[in-house]
Amino acid sequence: MTYKTTMLAALLAATALSGAQAADPIKIGVVTPLSGTYAGIGQQVRWGLDLATKEVNAAGGIMGRQVELIYEDEEANPSVAVQKADKLFQVNKVDFLTGTVNSGSTLAVGQVAERAGKLIATTVSFADSITTDKCSPNVFRVNARAGQQSAALAVWLSKDKPKANVFYLGPDYEMGRSTVAAFKSAAEKVGATSSGEVFAPLDSKDYTQYFGQLRSSRPQVLYTSVAGNDTVRLLTQLQEFGLLNNLTVVGASGTVTAQNLPAIGKAAEGFVTGVGYSAQIDTPENKKFVAAFQAANKADPDLYGADSYGLIYAYKAAVEKAGSTDTDKVRKALEDLKWQTPQGEKTLRAGDHQAIQTMYVVRVSGGKFMTVGQVSGDDAIGPDACSRF
Amino acid sequence: MVDALTRSMRASHILVAILVVASLIFAVIGVANGDTFYLRLGTEALIFAGLALSVDILLGYTGLLSLGQALYFGLGAYVSALVLMVTPSFWAATGAALGVAMVVGAVGGFIANRVRGVYFALITFGMAQVAAKVVYNTRALGASDGLIGVPIIQINFGFAAISSASPAGFFLFTLAFIVILYAFAAYLLDTPFGRLLIALKANERRVPFLGYDTVTPRLLAYMIAAVIAALSGALYPMLRGFVSPELLFFSTSGNAVITVVTGGVGTLVGALYGGILLTLLKSVVGSYTEHHLVVIGVLFMGAVIFLPRGLMGIVRPAIERMLARRMKS
Repeated sequence: MTYKTTMLAALLAATALSGAQAADPIKIGVVTPLSGTYAGIGQQVRWGLDLATKEVNAAGGIMGRQVELIYEDEEANPSVAVQKADKLFQVNKVDFLTGTVNSGSTLAVGQVAERAGKLIATTVSFADSITTDKCSPNVFRVNARAGQQSAALAVWLSKDKPKANVFYLGPDYEMGRSTVAAFKSAAEKVGATSSGEVFAPLDSKDYTQYFGQLRSSRPQVLYTSVAGNDTVRLLTQLQEFGLLNNLTVVGASGTVTAQNLPAIGKAAEGFVTGVGYSAQIDTPENKKFVAAFQAANKADPDLYGADSYGLIYAYKAAVEKAGSTDTDKVRKALEDLKWQTPQGEKTLRAGDHQAIQTMYVVRVSGGKFMTVGQVSGDDAIGPDACSRF
Repeated sequence: MVDALTRSMRASHILVAILVVASLIFAVIGVANGDTFYLRLGTEALIFAGLALSVDILLGYTGLLSLGQALYFGLGAYVSALVLMVTPSFWAATGAALGVAMVVGAVGGFIANRVRGVYFALITFGMAQVAAKVVYNTRALGASDGLIGVPIIQINFGFAAISSASPAGFFLFTLAFIVILYAFAAYLLDTPFGRLLIALKANERRVPFLGYDTVTPRLLAYMIAAVIAALSGALYPMLRGFVSPELLFFSTSGNAVITVVTGGVGTLVGALYGGILLTLLKSVVGSYTEHHLVVIGVLFMGAVIFLPRGLMGIVRPAIERMLARRMKS
C-alpha cells in the first residue's frame, strides 16, 4: 500500500511539474461537506459555485483562462478539512480555495492556507471570530457574519418597536449563549430594554416551564436562538399557551428555516429574522439569478448558494484587477473590492476581510419568508476588530 | 525457551521491520519529488496508528473493548496544543500529555474497570462523550471552533533538531516515535505482566485461583493504553497546527476500533498496518466519491467476514511457521 501510494505520489508530482501555461485553467479547490449532517449546505455551496463557474467559463473565463473547480468532502470535520486542503494546495496546486462550512474548519483551513501562502474565502461560516480576533491575512469572508445579522435585526427592531421590552431564550451551550449575548448588546445599544433571559438544554421536550417567567416579565419581543426541532417545540408550545398574541418573536437566521418551517406551521407566522440573502429580494439581478439557479438545480437558492455564487465573481474581478493569480497581488485586489452579487453590491473591507453588504429583515407570512425591511451595509457592519494586519 | 507468544511477537517484529523499511523508501521518494502532502498524510496515518495500538492493547490482549479511546487521544492533543502555545517545546508538551494522561487514565480506569463486557464499552463511550461535550462548550478551550495557532516547533535533541514543519523530518520522527511506542507495548506484553493480561482475556474468573490479583493489572493495562493514546495525540497539533473537539468524538474512537479489527486483533502490528491503510484509503477514496464511508464500511464488513484474524492473519502465521522451523533446526 505504501509502495502504491508513493507511485501515485510520484505520478501526481510529475504531472504537477509539467508547468503552468497561460491557457491552463485557473483551479479553485472546494473543501465542503458533501456527506453527513451539513451535506445540505454543501449542496447549496456546490450549486452556487457550479452555476457561477459555468457562466464565467461561457463568457470566456478569467483573463482568457477557464475556471476549474475541484471538490473534496470535508465531512464537516476540521481534521478532515485540513487534510483535504493540504492535498488541494500541494498536489492539485489550486490557486484559491473555498467551501468550508463550520467555523472550526474555516479557521483551521485558514491556517493551512497561511502556511502554504495561498488565499481562502468562506461563503458560509458566520462565527464573528473569523474576521475579528482570529482574523488571518489569507482569509476572506463574502457572507454576512453573525454580528451583521443581529445588528440588522436590532436596527429593524428599534424602528418597528422602539424601546421594546425584550426577553431572551437561548439553547444552553456555548454558541447559544454567545448569540444571545451578541443580540442583547446590539438591541440595548439601540434602546431596547432586557426583561430577562433563560437558557434551555438542547433537545428540550418541554419549554412550558419557562413560560411563567416569560409572562411575568411582560415582554413585547421574544428573542430566541434555538434551532431545528427545538424551534418546532418552542413555537408550537408558545402557541398552545396563547402566548404568541401581542408578542413578536425574533431570532437567529438558523432558528426558522425552510427545513423546519412546514413542521412549525401556523406558529411560525410573524417570526422575524435578519439575513444576508432572501430569494424574494426584488431586483432584476436577483430575479435573473433565481431563475438560472432554478433552471439548473430544480431548487431555490438559499443564502449559502447565493453567497457562493457571488464569490466566483469576486475572485474573477480580483484576478482581472491584479492581472495575475499570485497570492499577494490577489489579496491586494480583493481588499476594498466592490462587486455585484444577486443581493446587491458588496465591499470587502480591507481592515478585516469581511464583506459589507445590505442586510435584509424577513418575516414569515403565509408560510413563506417575506422581506419586510433592509438595513444598509454600513449600519450593520460594526467596527473593524481585527488587529493582525 | 521460546513459546508461542514470544514467537508470534517476533513475527510481529519482522512485520514492523518491513513497515519501517517501506516507510524509509517512501520518505526517500517523497523527498526526491519534493512532496509535502503524502508525507504529511503518512505522518497523520502513523499518529492514528498509535491510537489504534492503544486500542489493541485493551481489545487484543486484555479483552476490553474501549469505545472511548479518543478521550485520551484528544486529551493528549489538547494538552500538547495548550503547552505549545505557551512554550514551544516538544519535551514540555509530551511530558505534560504523559502526566495528565496518567492521572486521567487512573481516574477513568477506576471508573470503567468496575464493570465488564458491554458495560465497560458503554462506560468508556460515555466518558469520552462527556469529555467531548465539555471541551465543545468551554470558551477557554476554543469551544466548537477548536484551537488554532499552535506554533511550528523545533524538536531539540541536543545534538540535532527537527522542525515539525519539515514534511520528511517530522515523518521520520513520528515513525521512530510510534515504533518506540510499539516496542514498549510489545516488550511489556511479553513479560509475566503481559501474560497475566492475556490470562485475564482468556478467563478472568480463573486468574485469582492462580494467586493473582485481577483489579490492578486491568487498571494498569487501561492506564498504559491511555498513555499511548495521549502520546500519539500529542503529535497531532505539531503536525497540523490546531486541535478541534472532533478529535474526541466517537468517530475517532470508532475508527480506531475498525482499524484494529481490519489489521488484526491482538497482533499490535496489525494496528499499525490497519491505521496506515485506513487513513490512506479514506483520503484516496474520499477524493473520488462522497460515498466513501459506504466503501470503507463494505471493506470493514468484508474484513470481518472473510478475514476474521485481520490482514495480519494472512501473513503472520506463515512467518511464525518459518520462525518455528528455524528454531528447531
